[in-house]
Amino acid sequence: MNKDTSFRQVIVIGYGKVTGEVLQYVYDKKEEYGYDLAFIEHEVHALSMTGQICRENEIPFKRITDKKELAAAFDKFTEKTLIISASNNFLFPADLVDKPNITIINFHNAILPDYPGRNAPTWVIYKGERQTGITWHYVTAGVDEGNIIIQKRCEIAEDMKAYELTERLMDLAGEAFRESFADIMAQRVKAREQGFAKDRRMYRSYEMPADGLFDMTDMPENIYRLLRSVDYGKNDIFPLMRTVIDGREAKILRYRRISADKAKSEQDGGQEEKGFRYLPLGDHTVLKLKYAYVN
Amino acid sequence: MEEKILEILGEHCEEALDYNGDNMMEDGIIDSFTVINVISDIEDEFDIEIDAKYVVAENFKNKEAIIALVQKLLEE
Repeated sequence: MNKDTSFRQVIVIGYGKVTGEVLQYVYDKKEEYGYDLAFIEHEVHALSMTGQICRENEIPFKRITDKKELAAAFDKFTEKTLIISASNNFLFPADLVDKPNITIINFHNAILPDYPGRNAPTWVIYKGERQTGITWHYVTAGVDEGNIIIQKRCEIAEDMKAYELTERLMDLAGEAFRESFADIMAQRVKAREQGFAKDRRMYRSYEMPADGLFDMTDMPENIYRLLRSVDYGKNDIFPLMRTVIDGREAKILRYRRISADKAKSEQDGGQEEKGFRYLPLGDHTVLKLKYAYVN
Repeated sequence: MEEKILEILGEHCEEALDYNGDNMMEDGIIDSFTVINVISDIEDEFDIEIDAKYVVAENFKNKEAIIALVQKLLEE
């Protein structure tokens, strides 16, 4: 006998680690609940593993990158459907959200109502928060405004970069999803309102901390925090940070916290002539910057 | 060079050193976050930039592929 749910169909949309975890989990639960499962890839990522999970488990896989086409595909659903949006940047249209047969839940990588919108890990690091977390919430027509299903918190470590925090948040999101799945399926979640202020700040995809610029005379701690806040490895979410070095515009290619002894040895070896700068960070450590002139 | 790459890889994922297959990612040995850390350390160690276009599963399918990628970038 199937477990308690009226959902006949579950759709997962998103990319990245948490999407893979969610997809695998709902696949594992498929027989227990008796729903149909499909995955939609809206944004294509080079290292994404979701396609592989679909192939291995014979989960129907659709790649729909066009927003209008995607909205039209969702609009065709007539059965009672749960859409799970995990690391997904597609904004669901209001008429889809309002359809009585559709329930949409979304993972947001911050503790809502704080830090709604895009790139939350960046903004929490940049603003020097000590804690952040994740929220699973129901989707409404407003961005990141729906009622909260579950939240989990974590510490932001001193040297944490945006991609490291993202990974931690994805782990938390997977954990929270598994904990609340049965309640979501049975529609017995005691969701709570966010209670946000009307003038709350929404973070947009085109916004970058400090507008992507810093001054070499800024406090090294602040420069380090700024660089960590936009560091998503090779995922080109933000352009490289820029500054002025010796009167010329330069972009920061890499950065690293190293020991003062190592920095001294590198400086003595003439590394500053090879495109490096060293800024003292305290605690016998130094911020090492690798730069290249823009022109 | 090879020895240093293996040292870096081992620091982030010891299992990758013993892996003899041809897709570490699909086989669940490394994930995309490990790849970011490995790239960061390689760039720092060899003072090279690994462009995003090279960050594809094919170039991280096993330790030999990573070594070949770095070799190629050092020769450029």
